[in-house]
Amino acid sequence: MIYKVSYVVLGGGHPGSIKTQTDQPRVGDRVRLGPNEFEIVEVQRMMPERDDLQFLHATVKPLTQPETS
Amino acid sequence: MHDLRALMVQIELFRGLTEAQIDKLVAISQREVYPANATILNHNMPGDNLYIIVSGEVAVLKRGAAGQFYPALYLGEGQIFGEVALLDQGTRSAAITAVQADTVVYALGRQAFDALCQSDLALGFHVMRNLALDLAFKLRHRNYDMSGDV
Repeated sequence: MIYKVSYVVLGGGHPGSIKTQTDQPRVGDRVRLGPNEFEIVEVQRMMPERDDLQFLHATVKPLTQPETS
Repeated sequence: MHDLRALMVQIELFRGLTEAQIDKLVAISQREVYPANATILNHNMPGDNLYIIVSGEVAVLKRGAAGQFYPALYLGEGQIFGEVALLDQGTRSAAITAVQADTVVYALGRQAFDALCQSDLALGFHVMRNLALDLAFKLRHRNYDMSGDV
C-alpha cells in the first residue's frame, strides 16, 4: 500500500506538507516536515482510495519550535 | 531507462500508464539536481515546465503583502509542482526552493508534453486525470489547513 498524506500542523505556525510514503502514518509517529520534527496526533481518510493508493490527512503537533515566517 | 521507469511507476502522476507510455514520458523528461536552499522556480516568471520530485523535498514560497516570501507548503518525494503554469500558461504563482541537499526533480516541458498527450490520447487522459486528482488533494489540504475541516 502507498499513502499520500496531507500533514497539517496543530495551531498553525507551520505550512504543513504533502508526502507520498509506503509506511502507514499512525498516531504517535514522528515525522520531519521541512526543517522541523512533529508528532502525529490524528489520522483521517481524506479521499476514497484508488487501487493501492490511500489518501490520508494527518494532524501533527510540533516537537521542535517551528520556524516563523 | 529501466531503473528510471521503475522509479516513475511509483509516481502518482503516472498511475494507470503502461510501461511503454511511461517510457515516452521519461524520454521527454529532463533530470535536474539542486543543492539545499537552491531556487528551482522564481515567483511571477513565465513557466513552461511541470516538475516531479524524485528524491528530496522542496518548499513552496508565497509572497506576503510586504513582499517577503514565506513557506506555504513543503512537498516531498513523488509530489509534483509547476502544474498550474503548465496548465493555464500564466506566470508562476509561487517560488520553489530545494529544502534537502541533492533534491532530484524531473522536468516535463509543455510543448513536448502537449504533443505527447495529443499523439497518445489514452496517455493524455490518465495524466490529466492524475493531475486533476493531485490538484483536488492540494485543495483539500489547503482547505483543511485554513478551516480545520476537510
